[in-house]
Amino acid sequence: MRRLLVIALATTAAWGALGAQSVPAADKLRIVTSTTDLKALTEVVTGNLAEVDSMARASQNPHDLEVRPSLMVKVRRADAMIVNGLELDLWADVVAQGANNANVIPGAPGRIDASSGILVLEVPKTHVDRSMGDIHPVGNPHYTLDPGMAPAVTQNILEGLARIAPQHRAAFERNRQQFLARIDEAMGRWNKMLAPYKGSPVVVNHALWVYFLTRFGLVQVGTVEERPGIPATANHIVKLVNLMKEDHVKTIIAEPWSDFKLVERIAQEAGAQAAILAATVGSVKGTDTFLEAADFNVKALAQMLK
Amino acid sequence: MRAFVALALVLGLLVPAAPVRAQDAEALRQEMERMRKQFEAMQEQYKKTMDSMAERLERVEARPQPAAAAPPVAVQPAPAAPPATDLTAQQSPGSAPSPLDLIRPRQPFALYERRGAGQLLFDMGVTGDFVGNLTQHNVQKNQGGSFPGLENLFYLREGEVSFFGQIDPYARAEVRIEAGQDQRGGNLNVSVAEANISLTALPYGTQLKMGEMRNRFGLLNEIHSHDRPFIDDPNVLVQFFGAEGLREAGFEATWVPPLPFFIELLGGVFNGQNDVAFGRDQISNPLVTGRVRTFFDLDEWGAIQLGSSVAAGQTPQQKSSTILGFDAKYKYTPPGWQRAVFTLLGEYLLSFRDVVVTDPEGIDTTRYRGSQGFYIGGELRPFNHGELSKWLVGFRYDRTQYPAASGTEWAVGPFLSYYPSEFLRFRLGYKQTTRSQCCSYLDFQDNGGSAKQVSEYFLQATFIMGAHPAHPF
Repeated sequence: MRRLLVIALATTAAWGALGAQSVPAADKLRIVTSTTDLKALTEVVTGNLAEVDSMARASQNPHDLEVRPSLMVKVRRADAMIVNGLELDLWADVVAQGANNANVIPGAPGRIDASSGILVLEVPKTHVDRSMGDIHPVGNPHYTLDPGMAPAVTQNILEGLARIAPQHRAAFERNRQQFLARIDEAMGRWNKMLAPYKGSPVVVNHALWVYFLTRFGLVQVGTVEERPGIPATANHIVKLVNLMKEDHVKTIIAEPWSDFKLVERIAQEAGAQAAILAATVGSVKGTDTFLEAADFNVKALAQMLK
Repeated sequence: MRAFVALALVLGLLVPAAPVRAQDAEALRQEMERMRKQFEAMQEQYKKTMDSMAERLERVEARPQPAAAAPPVAVQPAPAAPPATDLTAQQSPGSAPSPLDLIRPRQPFALYERRGAGQLLFDMGVTGDFVGNLTQHNVQKNQGGSFPGLENLFYLREGEVSFFGQIDPYARAEVRIEAGQDQRGGNLNVSVAEANISLTALPYGTQLKMGEMRNRFGLLNEIHSHDRPFIDDPNVLVQFFGAEGLREAGFEATWVPPLPFFIELLGGVFNGQNDVAFGRDQISNPLVTGRVRTFFDLDEWGAIQLGSSVAAGQTPQQKSSTILGFDAKYKYTPPGWQRAVFTLLGEYLLSFRDVVVTDPEGIDTTRYRGSQGFYIGGELRPFNHGELSKWLVGFRYDRTQYPAASGTEWAVGPFLSYYPSEFLRFRLGYKQTTRSQCCSYLDFQDNGGSAKQVSEYFLQATFIMGAHPAHPF
């Protein structure tokens, strides 16, 4: 019994001592995002008012990130954590739990879901199960690939950050408007670039590009993966090649982490071209900002569709 | 006066408007003619589009369905997308899809509709873990296999229903109910494997967990059987903690200090319900646990986690018992790989306990006993993509002393894993165990120590349905 009391007293004392030694708030906000896309979009909102870091690296598939304690170090001192939502980055919950940071747990002011209120595509309307592969039951979560989503996503980021730093709201809004003006200008250019190919059929490796393709009026007619997350079988490849030939598909889009040799082989057999696009900001050389990534993707696609 | 002014203004406007009206009528006629022509052109265009559609539909229907069971894909315009008008004029030639193709819901998807009051506010998951093993008849007779009493049987080792989620903004909870066969005869034993609350909103990087839980001691103890990297449990863990592992009711607090590198400190107070190492079962004479864990991300060289754990309490005979553990786990994931190509892990345990020994005259005396044991195991995934990426090969080497009796056992075993998807796994394994002596501690029916040499073949089938949280490193 005495041992128990000693433990309880020691714990209480240590807890109090920790409080006394707590680190004062730094000048800059510390923000952690789940993906590099959200990092890029957060940086344009915060400007130099925050230090922003991403948990997933640009080269990593954000669907299935290994929860390393090094991610918890990033989150441990964060004022805010911005997640993609729509069940893309459920691993972020495990990171938040392991980081012991009350600022970023679900429901905390510093927990920001960038998908709030956006119009989600590919939401199952009928019964779905895992026989369909690793399907997203609440809809396709890859909305940040569509540059036209930037206004909605940055608005969510702004509202979330204004909760924890209301004094910076005006600066965030100013930064955001400047960024949206640049997006608007670029969007006109991108629309013009892809306008001649509206309605063109496109095959993708993984169903990652539906927001991007829809934005520019292109049509996804097939996937290299037989079902989401399940590699293609020989039978599926034969059917896909036939489909591509019949529909005169000229283009296959792949992600940096895909099996590009297989994608190239299918493209070759179908008389099409394959290319790796920037599935996340920074995943391809020269795509270190949101605008650069979108610009790269539009140009690469226009080039292939010629 | 004001009315007069208004009347004058109206008249002033009407008088010059009369000849203009005649000119407008002519312009209107011309405009209508132009519109009529436009309408005819549109009609023609629409007819062509419909013909093209019908032709395309016939072609598609005549074609065998590609990947009949493949999940459907819907394409619907995003909210801020430019209006999809006049697309046909800009289509590329050939069989490019028409505007109707763009909006036609070819698959059962619709725009997202947030669920209402019926939305479930927590996650649920179901897992099943079946194990089969083949071994010698004498091993079955002595219950000396890796699954004592269940030798030469295919059975449900663990069927688990789990519920987890936020209780409110300050806490989350998890409840796991397990059913499994633990003796021959087919009867299932149902138990609450875990039921605990975590207070996640505590300040200063602290967190408190309370309830029934698998203790965070070493690498594997906190992981449920179906998620462990081996078919059977390492010998040292079975010998030191029993087949169930360390599963206790009590409190566990963690602190992650705000440092540039990861370190987690853990302390816990529990009843002491473990029937092998800590069975006092009194919170007033508690089992006290502690753990320190750190992690180093070596970038292109992989990542390594190091930890040490301690558990100190009293045995069921009210004798002191302390177990120290040291663990390490290394993973190497080459750039561009989705999962680790190579994983190496191991634990080294030391046990210090007082045991009651009965001498030949029938007098009980207490003696101090120190013992140790370890395991080291690894897994290799040679391929990153395609069908071959679903296969892994692994091995484990075990060596342990018995904590309450004399004797040593060691074992070695390779295994092969196949993952058709991340929700389904099959494993085949072999294990060869050698014991220096077959001890009554293991409850063998001593008949000449015939379980000294044990050869076992394993089969494991594991599935996951529904939600399953990502596992830590």
